[in-house]
Amino acid sequence: MNEKKEMRLTVAAGLLIGAAAVALVLFGNPANMGFCIACFLRDMAGSLGLHSAAAVQYMRPEIIGLVLGSMILALVRHEWAPKGGSAPMTRFVLGFFVMIGCLMFLGCPFRMILRLAGGDGNALFGLAGFVAGILCGVFFLNRGYTLRRTYRLPTTEGAALPTILIAFLVILAAVPSLLRFSTEGPGSKHAPLLISLAAGLLVGALAQRTRLCMVGGIRDFVLFREKRLLIAFVAIFAAAFVGNLITGNFNPGFAGQPIAHTDGLWNALGMMLAGFGCVLLGGCPLRQLVLAGEGSADSAVTVLGLMAGAACAHNFGLASSGEGPTAAGRVAVVIGLVAVTLIACFNTFRKDNAK
Amino acid sequence: MTCIATFYSHFGAIRFRKQCEEQGLAARAMPVPRDLSSSCGTCVRFEGTCPDPVPEEVEQVVEVIPEGYRTLWHAE
Repeated sequence: MNEKKEMRLTVAAGLLIGAAAVALVLFGNPANMGFCIACFLRDMAGSLGLHSAAAVQYMRPEIIGLVLGSMILALVRHEWAPKGGSAPMTRFVLGFFVMIGCLMFLGCPFRMILRLAGGDGNALFGLAGFVAGILCGVFFLNRGYTLRRTYRLPTTEGAALPTILIAFLVILAAVPSLLRFSTEGPGSKHAPLLISLAAGLLVGALAQRTRLCMVGGIRDFVLFREKRLLIAFVAIFAAAFVGNLITGNFNPGFAGQPIAHTDGLWNALGMMLAGFGCVLLGGCPLRQLVLAGEGSADSAVTVLGLMAGAACAHNFGLASSGEGPTAAGRVAVVIGLVAVTLIACFNTFRKDNAK
Repeated sequence: MTCIATFYSHFGAIRFRKQCEEQGLAARAMPVPRDLSSSCGTCVRFEGTCPDPVPEEVEQVVEVIPEGYRTLWHAE
């Protein structure tokens, strides 16, 4: 065990990931959106016709790369293991509401860091809410919250999601007419396929190796004063911040930020819902993709929950826009906070936990 | 000897740490070392031997040795 080496690797991975995010924007991704797991899953749901918001439809190769990059490295390191069976439907519901929270804020925790690094002050409200949500989750963790154990499953369970994503990649490259593509809006802005895929593969592998998790950093610091994942968080921010300064994409302020709104309260509540839900899931949306790549069927189900949440968010007008949150979106976030709290309570205060 | 136990849940780890402390064993909850597992849960590092019987929340117990780890027990 070499903690210093592990720390150096984590910092290097964070810096590389931040740089990759800046590069993806230069190559065509939307501003402050080199990576956004929530936005990209939402775009993929649109590309598959699961929602009809014309501006956010694209089969994002980054997502496919993230899962496959994690899978390849896990296979190489003999860490790939098909497992699951830990409250899959609860995870689906948590994934659904995490997405509702992310689309209230307009970004996952990963994009929250990238928005901060781009000078978007609104993300500070998101960060405050995110930390509050994580603290809510930690409160329940310390009182017995658990979704019960996972079990070893047949290989097909672990291989299903990566196989589906490979099929999406083949369709994107060979028969794109089967998919929907935005002609304007965020979905129309994307880096070339191979660059997006390569960036996804790289970041997926790095995240698998370092167990990078936006939620895990704050959770581990609160629980154990362990700083490693938090430092990765800071390294991503630092690399993206410097990259944005160099490329002229650092624009400090609140109004007029790309794909963001200025409603501080709902930015905070959206990320509070995301942070709370992610602690109960055991990881942020990026971590769920990486775990799905390692063979976790539970995380694969969570990814489906995230996509279902994205589809509903756009079909029912729950997602925010640059103009701000919608009334229906506010109601959905409140419902989400209640639902996540109930899930936390039901899985914490059980008779068998009192033993 | 120094051992590390990994768990299916954070609370399982906290409960195990308390049990160790009640038995007078030095024990500390911490994130699972990366070279032990790719999962990101909570483990307990403790001075003692593999518990018998192993609590049902435990996923595996390893002994910390100079070369790394030696598996003492692993759930099915």
